[in-house]
Amino acid sequence: MNHQGAHPGWDDALDSALRRALPAPPLPRDFRARLAAARSAAELGDRDASAALRARLEREQREQLAELENEFVRVRRGTLGTLLGVAFAAGAAAAVAMPWLRAHLGSHVHVAITWGGVAVGLGIVAVSLGGWLQTPNR
Amino acid sequence: MRQALPAPSGRDQDIVELLQQGRPEPAFTALLERYEGKVYRLCCALLGEHAQAQDAAQDSLVRVWRALGRYDGRASLSSWIYAITRNRCLTALSRRRPTDSLEALLQEGDEAHLGLAHASDAADPDERSRRLLELVDLLPERSRQVLRLYYFEERSVAEVAAMLGCPQGTVKTTLFRARAALSGLLERRGLADPTYWRELET
Repeated sequence: MNHQGAHPGWDDALDSALRRALPAPPLPRDFRARLAAARSAAELGDRDASAALRARLEREQREQLAELENEFVRVRRGTLGTLLGVAFAAGAAAAVAMPWLRAHLGSHVHVAITWGGVAVGLGIVAVSLGGWLQTPNR
Repeated sequence: MRQALPAPSGRDQDIVELLQQGRPEPAFTALLERYEGKVYRLCCALLGEHAQAQDAAQDSLVRVWRALGRYDGRASLSSWIYAITRNRCLTALSRRRPTDSLEALLQEGDEAHLGLAHASDAADPDERSRRLLELVDLLPERSRQVLRLYYFEERSVAEVAAMLGCPQGTVKTTLFRARAALSGLLERRGLADPTYWRELET
């Protein structure tokens, strides 16, 4: 670092002038006290933040459980409605089709109706099983 | 290019051991004893303003306290603390309005804009020092940061490099340029006379 130029000893003079102008700043007297206060405030803030996070997670869990419960009730109602509808439709169809079946099948009408019912039941089971197998994370 | 971070030094080993023993409170107390002054001086050098530096130093040390449990000892404790402090100061600096640089001011040729009276008018050594500081404040930001820290840290290039997280060669180069710019400014005012500045010592 040489800027001596026309003035010998300039570097040393500038160095001592800067040393005088730039002394190390002393630590403020209340530094530790203010730091302790800042630490306490930060810890309090952390605790508040943790409590708020916990409350939010608990509320979200409650909401999800309520939603699942509602969904379960809705599915049960849907299933019951479907069963009643299918039973009513089957009874109505049998009542309408019985004279025609008697005329064509004679005494075998009961066997035909029984096998028809079994075939429909097996079809329903097969469709349900297919849907269950395709469900992810079953 | 950044230097590879050194491993924990011997003198920080006691703090690291306290942390490994699961005793963060005494570790932090020991850390404060050793680093609070350096953290404060680093903030003063980077920010230039004492009130802001105090806030930044306290905030940096609170961040150190909060992160102390995650310190893994791979880098030296001092590098880790200085990095946290520098990041905090950079955030504070980024919020500031950009200031006029020396080059911009000199290019404008508007010396009156510098607002500096001729320093030779000042007989009082404190007044001369104050005016010298005004010239230091006109240097580019990096130059004045390095210059301040160099004198705060008793002219130790190694310490300045560690605190700023840069190679010692970079510190030396920046110091050289800063002093050259400062000499130029003083010369323009006819103040590059060693005897004038030596009077300050007496």
